[in-house]
Amino acid sequence: MLTTYLFFGLALLAVLGALGLIIFKHPMNGAMSFVVTLISLAGLYALLSAKLIFAIQLIVYAGAIMSLIVFIIMFLNIQEKDLPLDPNRWFYVAGGIVVVAPIAGLLINISRTLPATEVTVFDDGFGSVKEVGQLLFTQWLLPFEIVSILLLVALVGAVVLAGKREVN
Amino acid sequence: MITHYMSLSVILFCLGILGVVSRRNVFIVFMSIELMLNAANLGFVAMSRLHVNMDGHVLALMVMAVAAAEAALALAVIILLHKHKGNLDTNIFSLLKG
Repeated sequence: MLTTYLFFGLALLAVLGALGLIIFKHPMNGAMSFVVTLISLAGLYALLSAKLIFAIQLIVYAGAIMSLIVFIIMFLNIQEKDLPLDPNRWFYVAGGIVVVAPIAGLLINISRTLPATEVTVFDDGFGSVKEVGQLLFTQWLLPFEIVSILLLVALVGAVVLAGKREVN
Repeated sequence: MITHYMSLSVILFCLGILGVVSRRNVFIVFMSIELMLNAANLGFVAMSRLHVNMDGHVLALMVMAVAAAEAALALAVIILLHKHKGNLDTNIFSLLKG
């Protein structure tokens, strides 16, 4: 019963944060609102007994990626006058809702056919570091190595792009 | 209960699409893309819980690694854009239009 209340509270927070992201004008307010979404998603992962993903969501997403984004927003020192004007914004929102709402309704209806299992938090090893790590380093070894190469390429690319000096 | 998790995933993904479509600020568009990646992650983890199988957790880890790489590159591009144009409007990206 407690997990149900927790789910609805966290889901409400996540949706409100996402709404704030697409409504607030200044990107800093949007980023702070997005952090709320990320942290409540971490709580939902904990309810789904994904312990490793819960920790990594907090450390990597809400910690590293969001602090990088906030750092860049503050580094560029964005004032109110630098923001692009969005005169047609609500028009685009309405058009987007018209396109997206039928697809969302269809998908939610499909998800109704899933078996109704009661979601309880496992207290055994499901989703803990040891089990997921064993799976990652045996069955998923090749994708893991490919992802490490991808991260290396992104690192080199970011240094080449952002570290370029002006040549006069 | 898994139904509710999947519905929340669909709703968050649709909000991400709305953000990409309706806003012209580069940062907001970028964070909306991150929101869509997170919605997909929630779907993976929820299905993983339904089938009591941890492959979804590993896939969510892969998605997070891809998102981190994307964040590094996208922020570098935003810095370059701001340096050259002094603006954050996505319409500036129409530079490559033929």
